[in-house]
Amino acid sequence: MTGILYHGQPNGPSFTVLAAAFEKGVDLERRPIDLVAGDRHSAALPHPIEVDQSIEGEGPVLVVGDVAMTDSVFLACYLDDIGTGPAIRPADPYARWQMMAWCRYVIERVAPAAAALGNAAAPPHTVPAGIASADLAARWTDAVEGEADATQLADSRTKIVQAVEKIEAQLADGRDWLMGDFSIADLESFAWLAGMRALVPQAFVASPRVDAWEARLRARPAVAQALGLATVPNPEAIWAPGPEINRWG
Amino acid sequence: MTDVTLYHWEPNANSGKPMLALFEKGVAFDSHYLDLLNFDQHRPDYLAVNPLGTIPAMTHGDKVLTESTAIMEYVNEAFDGPRLMPADPVDQWRARWWMKFLDQWLAPSFSMIGWSVFVGPSVRQKDPAELEAAIDRIPMPERRTAWRKAINGAFSPEEMTESQRRVGLGIGYLEAALVQREWLASGEYGLADINGFNLAYAMPLSQPQLCNDELTPNIMRWLRAIYARPATRACWALGRTDLARRISLLESEPA
Ligand SMILES: N[C@@H](CCC(=O)N[C@@H](CS)C(=O)NCC(=O)O)C(=O)O
Repeated sequence: MTGILYHGQPNGPSFTVLAAAFEKGVDLERRPIDLVAGDRHSAALPHPIEVDQSIEGEGPVLVVGDVAMTDSVFLACYLDDIGTGPAIRPADPYARWQMMAWCRYVIERVAPAAAALGNAAAPPHTVPAGIASADLAARWTDAVEGEADATQLADSRTKIVQAVEKIEAQLADGRDWLMGDFSIADLESFAWLAGMRALVPQAFVASPRVDAWEARLRARPAVAQALGLATVPNPEAIWAPGPEINRWG
Repeated sequence: MTDVTLYHWEPNANSGKPMLALFEKGVAFDSHYLDLLNFDQHRPDYLAVNPLGTIPAMTHGDKVLTESTAIMEYVNEAFDGPRLMPADPVDQWRARWWMKFLDQWLAPSFSMIGWSVFVGPSVRQKDPAELEAAIDRIPMPERRTAWRKAINGAFSPEEMTESQRRVGLGIGYLEAALVQREWLASGEYGLADINGFNLAYAMPLSQPQLCNDELTPNIMRWLRAIYARPATRACWALGRTDLARRISLLESEPA
């Protein structure tokens, strides 16, 4: 037993971590929770600062011994270290920098946009009790009340269009994966963009390389295994409040 | 001659992170100082290095790197010298967790306050037409907005209150972490401390009612311990303004 993973439907950060665990052959005890119902805030989970103040919002929690860990890209780095499957991070320092900088872009620009659009399209019903972070609680209230700001939603659509363009350009040299070899960057990018085909279709009208990349990704056994854990037909349509839209710039 | 060039401003916030990591690692680098208050970061010669027009950026041979925290991880991995990430994978996770929390939650709140009380007033007296032209050269729309707000003193009371709320909470979280551990993320000094120090070194001066020997003795212990490191002294010596000179307040004895 290497850890207990509390996770939601295989979308967004839960997808990244589930797929990374399968890629790496890490045998976690999986405990599915309903992120949209606010299960993550219940007393069944540990609540150190790293859980309650995670920048990611409603993401998975991995408990190893007495440590509860959050933030999907860093959980995937951890799984890469402890798992036996092929590496999901490049070994060369510069290639690794490229992967971390790419993931930072996804975390900072793409994820907040996707979460804002996803929550606006499928708002949660109630604000759960027990949310420790006031700013996360405010994002829940806005999501439940459908108070998304039109300017922010328009900007979020732009961010998704730009992200698809960026991936299309990255794949232009004919490579299969974003960093050359398959990596966490592929998982994290797909995690946030999968649900955007339905919500921002204009981003995908001329993206043949992105389409082929997504098909390759879905064909990976670990990805199929992660998506196979869904208990609803379209896990990419399930959203709970995510990272906040950068309040500084 | 070295094959590393760092484009940076004062040892402070994002610029100071790779600077201090390079000093701790013992990596010689060519220092290319950009004056943020003179909008050097939006000039064509720098945009050729970092098209986003933000500082810092680093070149290593023909490789170009941006994103201060990611640059620090590169510096740690690409060069010899002391290890600045813990060996244990859980500790590595915790170092990254804290760096993200600082970069994306606490630092933006400090920035808003800093831009409102320092950056805005420092450039406001320039010729308005010149300022408008300078803002037009900024590549990122989000930053054009931030600069306009700073220059016009237009941060709303709500956003300032929210930033101050986060600063207060963040100081409490830092203190609580440093009660548990000698260093921010593990038992060893490393990148999370370098990141945190760049954000926090002036807190006893800028937030004296929240950060002091009585209320936050562990933050004070931690700041003084980092200040005592030769790499920190060497790094802050590259500062050219009073901003970096605020570090000298850490010479004070614990109360
Ligand atoms: N995420 C970037 C942010 C870099 C950044 O925003 N730097 C600030 C200085 S601390 C800057 O360049 N501000 C000037 C501007 O935006 O014009 C990093 O960590 O390197």
